[in-house]
Amino acid sequence: MLSESLRFNDNPSGREQFSAFLHSQQNPAYLLTDFIEEDFRYEIVPHLRGGERSALLQRKFEQYYRNTPFRQALVLHRQTDGRRDDEILFTALTNPALILPWVNTMLAHSVPIVGIYSVPNISTPIIKGVNSNHLLLLSWEKHAGLRQTYFDASRLHFSRLTPINANRTFSETVAEETTRTHQYLKSLSLLQPGQTLDVHIICHAHDQPGLAAHLQNDKDMRFSYIDIQQLGARLKSKLDFADSDATPVFLHLLAAKPPHSHYAASEHTHFFQLYQLRRGLLGLSAALGLASLLWGAANIWQGSTLSADNETFTTQKAQLARQAQQITKGFPNTLATATDMKTAVLLSRKLSSYSPPPQNILKELSAALDEFQRINVSKLSWKMTPATDGSAATLPTQVILLDGELNEFSGNYRDALNYLERFQQALTQSGHTVTAVTLPLDVSAQGSIAADSDSKNQSAQFSLKIIWRSKE
Amino acid sequence: MTFSKSDFPHVMWSVLIFLAVLGLGSAAIIASENFHSQAQTKQQDLHRQLNEARKQLATAEEDRDNMKTYTLEYGTLLDRHIFGSDKRLDWIEGLNDIRRQKRVLDFKYAIAPQKNFTPVPALDTGNYDLYLSTMTLQFNLLHEGQLMNFFDAMHTNINGWFIIDHCTLERGSLATDPADFSSSTQLKADCTGGWLTLKNRTTP
Repeated sequence: MLSESLRFNDNPSGREQFSAFLHSQQNPAYLLTDFIEEDFRYEIVPHLRGGERSALLQRKFEQYYRNTPFRQALVLHRQTDGRRDDEILFTALTNPALILPWVNTMLAHSVPIVGIYSVPNISTPIIKGVNSNHLLLLSWEKHAGLRQTYFDASRLHFSRLTPINANRTFSETVAEETTRTHQYLKSLSLLQPGQTLDVHIICHAHDQPGLAAHLQNDKDMRFSYIDIQQLGARLKSKLDFADSDATPVFLHLLAAKPPHSHYAASEHTHFFQLYQLRRGLLGLSAALGLASLLWGAANIWQGSTLSADNETFTTQKAQLARQAQQITKGFPNTLATATDMKTAVLLSRKLSSYSPPPQNILKELSAALDEFQRINVSKLSWKMTPATDGSAATLPTQVILLDGELNEFSGNYRDALNYLERFQQALTQSGHTVTAVTLPLDVSAQGSIAADSDSKNQSAQFSLKIIWRSKE
Repeated sequence: MTFSKSDFPHVMWSVLIFLAVLGLGSAAIIASENFHSQAQTKQQDLHRQLNEARKQLATAEEDRDNMKTYTLEYGTLLDRHIFGSDKRLDWIEGLNDIRRQKRVLDFKYAIAPQKNFTPVPALDTGNYDLYLSTMTLQFNLLHEGQLMNFFDAMHTNINGWFIIDHCTLERGSLATDPADFSSSTQLKADCTGGWLTLKNRTTP
């Protein structure tokens, strides 16, 4: 939003007033110049980069604009054929004395100057979208005069400012100056015979009929009008334009879309660089502060959550300890702990199974002997032996050795062996493992057999090994 | 862009603010990190303590269950005097009582010095050390039932825990003179076993 304009005369008193005004102004400043003394030189130079390019431009500046620090080179276009040279527009404010005192005053007050611009320099956005290879933009600035800016293929080529004579009307001046400019362009061969110059005039709707009355389209020039109110609206300006003065349009345009290139040298923008550094540091500080705040807040939040959980855990722990204490309080007063009691009892149970009472060991054997009355036991022994037969039993086995002989033996070995076989089978059926150590007659292939005629006195002695397992 | 000393006053406050924010921000982060880390450490500690408390409760509950299950049986073991040192006097008196009851024709016994005992197969003995005092027995018997009665009586009447390792029963000569008590022996038996005792390592 543009504020009310202030005017300062170009004399010591005006500059003092300007200096006083600057005391309260430390915001970045954009300087817009609108001088007759602005020169434009179009040149085609080789496309260079880096130091070579800088040296070339510096050489051109020294050649064309030695006496002014306010100069710039605008790259308009890079040619598409041949060496692909650059088309460059060298421009300068050729009378630095017009602006230097003001710039120095601003620098003396450390005002951050963003750049020094000129009206033609910032005009390009106005003709955006206009399809014309030869376009002349006309604008009227109340305090400067009639500005004519020529665009060749939408690229700035040159511009001139003409003061308006108080004895002539705006329409008359436009008609006369456009004719002159047309002739000038033809003299420079920028306009070939048969080519038409499109003249776009920024004016208020009130002035348009007067202009149209003086300006007639012909084969050389074709006039069209840009309503200043509509232009302002297109550029998103909220100003209300009372006449055709385009100064507020350009000021708004500069504030809204400052071009990258301008006339200010680095010594002029020094305070703006410091301003940017200040802003950068403050921005960085804000970001750092915010990040620290967020980080810290996240840590505190997480820590607080953990602390809240910790209180719950502490309560749980105390509750569990109380429960455990209540249980242990109810224990009887014994010398042994519960674990020791359990161990002792389980140990006693297990060891009792290791060594069962003899009745248990001999029960089935006694029953079998009752059934087989012909067996006369002469010797019986049993011994606790760790299980070695690979069985899964964890208890020791009892190995029983039975020595005896058969009663009523009449030398019938077959009968005796069958009887003993049945005895062994009876034991096996009751869960024993039975092995014959010796039998009344060794009928195996490895055995030796001898007999004489007096076989009646022979006895049927035998020996059995019986393994008994505890039934867990 | 070049800067000189004279430019410093133009950026001094910005630099000071930046340094102050940097310092305060770092301090805030370090302090909050400490707070968070302390809470975290405390929580790890509490987790450990909570697990410990859970284990203690589980142990207490298990102990309560064990007490309920094993107290009676343990009391029986206590009554049989199988904990601590050998109660040899009890054994001798008990054996003399059996002798007086004439459960067998005759018997002799010998008790050897106490030794460590390791069951085979091995058993979990917990806090206990096992000891065995080996005892050998020789019997004169009328029949094998007397031997069974003898061991029943030992088990019932004597406080202690006797385990039999091995026994041998052998038929003896028939009595020629009924008046001769020793000659009425039909069976001879040799048995070896031992008196078992348990000692708790943690109990003095």
